[in-house]
Amino acid sequence: MKNNKKLSYFLNQANIIKTDKIDKKTRVAILGSFSLNGFDETIRVKCYEKQIACKTYIGDYNQYNQDILKSDSKFYKFNPEITFLILDVRHIIGELFFTPYSLSLSEKEKFVNQKIEEINNLIITIINNSKSHIILTELQIPTYSPYGINEKNEQLGLKQMIQKINEGIRDKTKDKQLVSILDFNEFIQKNGENNVFNYKQFFSGDIKISIEFIPKFIDELLKFIIAILGMTKKCIVLDLDNTLWGGVVGEDGFDKIKLGDEPIGRSFVEFQKRLLGLNQRGIILAVNSKNNFDDAIKVIKDHPNMILREENFSSMKINWKDKVSNLCDISKELNIGLDSLVFFDDDPINREFVKEQLKEVLVVDLPTDSSKYSEILTGMNVFESGKITDEDLKRREMYSEQQKRSEFESEVANFDEFLKQMNIQVEIKKADSFSIPRISQLTLKTNQFNLTTKRYQEDEISSIVNKKNKIVECARVSDKFGDNGITGVYIVEKMDKEWIIESFLLSCRIIGRGVEDVLINQLIERAKIENIEKIKGKFIPTQKNKPAENFYQEFGFKKEGDFWVFNTKDTMKKIEHVKVIKNE
Amino acid sequence: MSEKLYEIISKTFNVPIEKINDEVTSETLDEWDSFNFYVLLDEIENNFDIKFDLDETLEIKKIGDFKQIFYKHGIKI
Repeated sequence: MKNNKKLSYFLNQANIIKTDKIDKKTRVAILGSFSLNGFDETIRVKCYEKQIACKTYIGDYNQYNQDILKSDSKFYKFNPEITFLILDVRHIIGELFFTPYSLSLSEKEKFVNQKIEEINNLIITIINNSKSHIILTELQIPTYSPYGINEKNEQLGLKQMIQKINEGIRDKTKDKQLVSILDFNEFIQKNGENNVFNYKQFFSGDIKISIEFIPKFIDELLKFIIAILGMTKKCIVLDLDNTLWGGVVGEDGFDKIKLGDEPIGRSFVEFQKRLLGLNQRGIILAVNSKNNFDDAIKVIKDHPNMILREENFSSMKINWKDKVSNLCDISKELNIGLDSLVFFDDDPINREFVKEQLKEVLVVDLPTDSSKYSEILTGMNVFESGKITDEDLKRREMYSEQQKRSEFESEVANFDEFLKQMNIQVEIKKADSFSIPRISQLTLKTNQFNLTTKRYQEDEISSIVNKKNKIVECARVSDKFGDNGITGVYIVEKMDKEWIIESFLLSCRIIGRGVEDVLINQLIERAKIENIEKIKGKFIPTQKNKPAENFYQEFGFKKEGDFWVFNTKDTMKKIEHVKVIKNE
Repeated sequence: MSEKLYEIISKTFNVPIEKINDEVTSETLDEWDSFNFYVLLDEIENNFDIKFDLDETLEIKKIGDFKQIFYKHGIKI
């Protein structure tokens, strides 16, 4: 998993990659106060490796001010989806970097405020002139201060000044939905200032991030791209023996596996704690292990040093089936695509088998040394999401409920009977400030049951919510096993005689229970009341939305040109097993 | 014994190794631009476990010049 390829690899690879067959597309601009050579090639290749076709605009050397402040600049014409603004501390604070003594305390305070204003102005100007997400790197706090050991005794030392600028900008951008801060100092801490900054390269070519570390820095940018594009992985599937604990429980025995107080055991405990942290952030966990069920479950339930317990796993496949069919079963049971799964297994043969059979699954190449597991997990950039919503935190719980639903489904023989017994309730609500982040997230992430696959950022939703000619509503779905949260969204444009469905989607975990029919049903009822003759919508096919392909037709819509049309006078499907609550 | 040096240059610049010899300069090889040259320096430093002085890097006009520096640093290639 660790990507240690050098910059020269990316420079050469950039000429070869072909991105025209890739669905996911993005436009990334990088603006900086220093030479950005090599960034373009590296980011395009790294995106390509994640199946993202990335078009780039790389600002000319130190032209970021012109790019941002002139509203007709090449930068705005490029129309970026994501903009990285990478400002270098030396450039921003100038000579003060070397000689902060030249200013009095009040002058220094004034200077700090002025810099905060300058940078904030750049951000606001981008917001006003584009729709781009903006990622700003915070200023690097150097390890050396001209004040020497008195840095901390100064009333406003150099490092403290820089910190104050960083904090000031963070305060100003905190509430701006499209702005995020890249923790550049974390990057420096991880890799070392003397490695990231190379004086020779700086003097030769104004290179501020050394050639060796450009690929690693681009990895940091990629985290944001993946999060913004909604490509976050949802589920980690884990083998047990030699993955979650040392040794083989079936051979070594319950009390002989390595999990706990000796070096090897500690490495597995740490790995489990890291997994637990991700689990609490909303990443779901599952088990895929060839084992005797009783042996393995005893460890999970009763081993004193086990960190992850039964309730942390939303699905457990402990059997003698092959890993591929178990992964498929997990994907079905949890109702998430194979491309949302990450697979950890210490056995290279299993890994190869999965890689070969299920290309969509991300298979992690674990080394034989278990002390590296935690580092590999925390170094992965696929678990980032833009903003953590309440739904993310609840997802784990909901997937456990999902598992119970599947079990229930196989117990009840007749599917209609099953639906009746589910006590499904759908609560329909107009979008409001609480639901807007979730609504946007659903439009960004939902691929399967999505009729038009239109993506909306939060601010786009906010801007249409109160328009008279729009309906923007969401559905909260619950049943006897628990609350699924907001899992349905539709956006409708109201015209004089007809309504046009702009967007209609359902989270995959509730597809096929009649909820989609209920939503369209009540829309038509309302249209009737308002004397609307027709409701119509398009189905725009993508690689992934096959589950929604026949929805309009099966409901009784008729094809007219590009549209599917329903005449409000016609009779409708009645859905008896779902209770609808309308909240105005 | 120039093989290792040539290989690194060929790989970094992405040009066939046959095109690399001691007389090659930035004028005769398109791929040798200023940034690629820094990338090459980095590769050579890492591969030969050597650190060039800044002024040494400025003196390199043709591939053969690397060998002079190696010689100075006591590296036999």
